Amino acid sequence: MESIYADRLPALKAVLDRLLDRVEQVRRELRSATGMDPVEHCLGRIKSEESMREKCRRKGLPETTESALTQIHDAVGIRVVTSFIDDVYRIRDALAGMEGIRVVEEKDYIRHAKPNGYRSYHMVLLVDEQIYAEIQLRTISQDTWAALEHHMRYKKTLNGNTALIAQELKRCADELASTDVSMQTIRDMIMGQS
Amino acid sequence: MKILLAEDTQDLNRVLTVALEHTGYEVDSAFDGEEALDLIMKNGYDLLILDIMMPKKDGLEVLQEVRRLNNITPVLMLTAKAEIDDRVAGLDAGADDYLTKPFAMKELLARVRAMTRRRTEYSTKELHFGDLTLNADSFELSSENAIRLSVKEFELLQTLILQKDRELDTSWLLEHVWQNATGAMDDTVWLYISYLQGKLKAVSSGVRIAGSRGGKFRLIEQKE
Repeated sequence: MESIYADRLPALKAVLDRLLDRVEQVRRELRSATGMDPVEHCLGRIKSEESMREKCRRKGLPETTESALTQIHDAVGIRVVTSFIDDVYRIRDALAGMEGIRVVEEKDYIRHAKPNGYRSYHMVLLVDEQIYAEIQLRTISQDTWAALEHHMRYKKTLNGNTALIAQELKRCADELASTDVSMQTIRDMIMGQS
Repeated sequence: MKILLAEDTQDLNRVLTVALEHTGYEVDSAFDGEEALDLIMKNGYDLLILDIMMPKKDGLEVLQEVRRLNNITPVLMLTAKAEIDDRVAGLDAGADDYLTKPFAMKELLARVRAMTRRRTEYSTKELHFGDLTLNADSFELSSENAIRLSVKEFELLQTLILQKDRELDTSWLLEHVWQNATGAMDDTVWLYISYLQGKLKAVSSGVRIAGSRGGKFRLIEQKE
């Protein structure tokens, strides 16, 4: 079977590398300016053949290159995990400000958390008016939380305690958010920005 | 609202009990110190009214025993006019207020109201200011989002909300929120004010704390 991306795979790979390079560049700049690495880790991927086809089916779209590249916006995906909240916004600005890039969708779930406690910064970029890339930015504690919440969602047996677990996850999300703000405040004081 | 009254003079005990019950309080009467202490150990009270001069155990001994057991129920001492030393000893032993005999019933009732009122005011479960809600049970600060505060952050914000009509200076906050704890200094207050500033933004609230390092602070609503 032919790839759902047809001959566009190298173009997707090029966009992925370009975005990852920009993250690495900001990382170096901030590290030499502040002595601290803003990025804890950074992952990039091209959505696999199977998950792309599965997503097309789930959304009721034909399994075509057209669907994969224009209807669905996460063929290219990047997740940047930072140590501090302000670094999320620094990376956001660096990516959004790149030449040839337009921000087509943006959701700040850090300032406007989801009801379950989920916090992240989401952004969809259109590169050279051709290829979409989905960016997720969050702090280490938000990333840890999202991993556990994801696990809960796909695990069937919770001993009937789903409501309790969800309530406790929400509490932890709010406690972690509180600690993230405290850490940022302390860092600002150390750096003399407050 | 439940009050323990310990007074050995039969007539006065009866008059006070009737007056307090008439006002709407539930009253247990004791006629000596031992009986008072037994009742205190058995039941929970919102206020203890203790006469100083009582048989078996005097009011001071009862008070000392109560405080030794880490019981923090407010205590109103009844003292004779001449006994200045007793009043001082009573306050030093942990009494919250005293009344000298003879006293007007009106004054006793006013003091009882004042001493029982404070507890209900401070036990308010939810405080509000602008678009903020502060929950005293969960230490949750919420506006558009919710966040959990630490104990000190909660106490500081609670104080700022309760005293919203005036500016609170750094030394006043050190005294009232930190109880002048060793190691607490002007910068401690500033750090906690800064934490709260960040957390107000994190819940997407329009409320801010006006004031600068070492100065006076007050909650304000910021217009978008």
